[in-house]
Amino acid sequence: MAVIEVNDLTKRYGRFPAVNGVSFSVEQGEIFGILGPNGAGKTTTVECAEGLRRPDSGSIRVLGLDPVKDRRRLTGKVGVQLQETLLPENIKVWEALHLYASFYEAPRDWRELLVQWGLADKSKARFGTLSGGQKQRLFIALALVGDPRLAFLDELTTGLDPAARRVTWELIKQVRESGVTVVLVSHFMDEVEELCDRVAVFDRGRIVALDTPSGLISAVDADQRMRFRPLVPFDDALLAGVPGVASVSRSGDQVVVTGRGDFAGAVTSVLARRDVPVAGLRVEQHTLDDAFVALTGRTFDAEESR
Amino acid sequence: MTGFATLGGIEIKLLLRDPGALFAMAIPLFILVVFGSATEPGDTTVPTMALTIAVGLIGLYTVPTTLATYRERGILRRMSTTPVSPGSLLAAQLLLQLFFAAVASALLVAVSGFVFQAAWPARVLPFALVFLLGTTALFSIGLVIAALAASGRAANGVGVLLYFPLAFLGGLMQPKEAMPSFLAAIGEFTPLGAFRQAIGDAWTGVAVQPHLLGIMAAYALVVGFAAVRFFRWE
Repeated sequence: MAVIEVNDLTKRYGRFPAVNGVSFSVEQGEIFGILGPNGAGKTTTVECAEGLRRPDSGSIRVLGLDPVKDRRRLTGKVGVQLQETLLPENIKVWEALHLYASFYEAPRDWRELLVQWGLADKSKARFGTLSGGQKQRLFIALALVGDPRLAFLDELTTGLDPAARRVTWELIKQVRESGVTVVLVSHFMDEVEELCDRVAVFDRGRIVALDTPSGLISAVDADQRMRFRPLVPFDDALLAGVPGVASVSRSGDQVVVTGRGDFAGAVTSVLARRDVPVAGLRVEQHTLDDAFVALTGRTFDAEESR
Repeated sequence: MTGFATLGGIEIKLLLRDPGALFAMAIPLFILVVFGSATEPGDTTVPTMALTIAVGLIGLYTVPTTLATYRERGILRRMSTTPVSPGSLLAAQLLLQLFFAAVASALLVAVSGFVFQAAWPARVLPFALVFLLGTTALFSIGLVIAALAASGRAANGVGVLLYFPLAFLGGLMQPKEAMPSFLAAIGEFTPLGAFRQAIGDAWTGVAVQPHLLGIMAAYALVVGFAAVRFFRWE
């Protein structure tokens, strides 16, 4: 049975449709990514599933329950990390975990979470004195303290430095291994590519694609690019006829070849047969960014969308 | 139930760590000590003013700032995704602030009696009832500020802006006898004025005038209803 089923969800703010006919389902035990620029409807969708907002139309079932009507029953089974929430400045880390644990009938041992999320030595520190990464880890630990079957994590690593992001990713993988289904809202391509089993790409209130990260990337129907520096001269016409190659050009001492499919393998084997040694060979792989551009016709600029 | 006990315990700790809350206790105590030494033994004018200031500061200042900050920081919203409703947090806060106001008042009564030989409250039950009614009226005003203010900072500002004219009209800046009579008359209809007069009468053993109780009850009911009606969780 699906953990979350969303059917034709619509939510308007005034006349502006923030979410416009969205359908998807999340399966048991996966990390499901919701990707898109700010204002794409990601957070609104997730907040409807959390029961914080009432949909205008469409249906949502979470763990077989209606998030608005069965909110009380659902809150005990679902952990939530919200975007832009804080704790009181003066609450200590252990107090926050102890407090949130007391809200649930069968909570996890919060001392264990303290250790697992690397907060043991900050146990007696006040919330206001924590770094961005420590605050974020505390919020994730708070989302898990009720021993949920499903966790919503919204903008998990915003504001974290690269090392802290890596650590957080590893911990999220552990969460999945412990059997918790995770819905991850993000506007970071690398994060989604690293963590998610499947991704729904949101744009302007709709889902424009839903697939595995590698599926999304391989569906990009655009030229790839390879570049290398030949160590002996050769005629460009040699490569122009190779299957899949779209163009051959030179930029300084570099040769740039664009093409599709396995053109790069074909090009290197032709060069090898003609005894043209090369240096600095690079094939630029498509990324989720390229997939996003291909899907929406716009560049995905995380900075601009902040 | 254990959830509510834990919540209450942690909220008490947070209150004790909040310098603003301790100010609400220290300011009236300071006023009592400075002006109390100049009054005659048995007189309760200054102690009454100090007690009213204490309850006024907590109701118009601590209550709205705390609650609006909780909303602004998303704490109420975050709690609404747990099995415990944010209403519990609000209830715990109000009970705690009421307790805090009672402790502050008891301290002021004790210092007045022991240090400055002021009279002890003549009849305890009317005194306690007036205290409860006046505190409820002032907390209602604090709640409506929290309900309508955009942020904790705004709630703080509105609380201060409201406090000073109310304290002036309520006869907390100077004795009522020193005020122009029309201002003193208006003052009786303000929450702080009605509370000061009623709690002062109960303290000295004079029968509390029913219209003062009516004024405080009206504030508690009307403003309290507005606060509940307009309160936003996020």
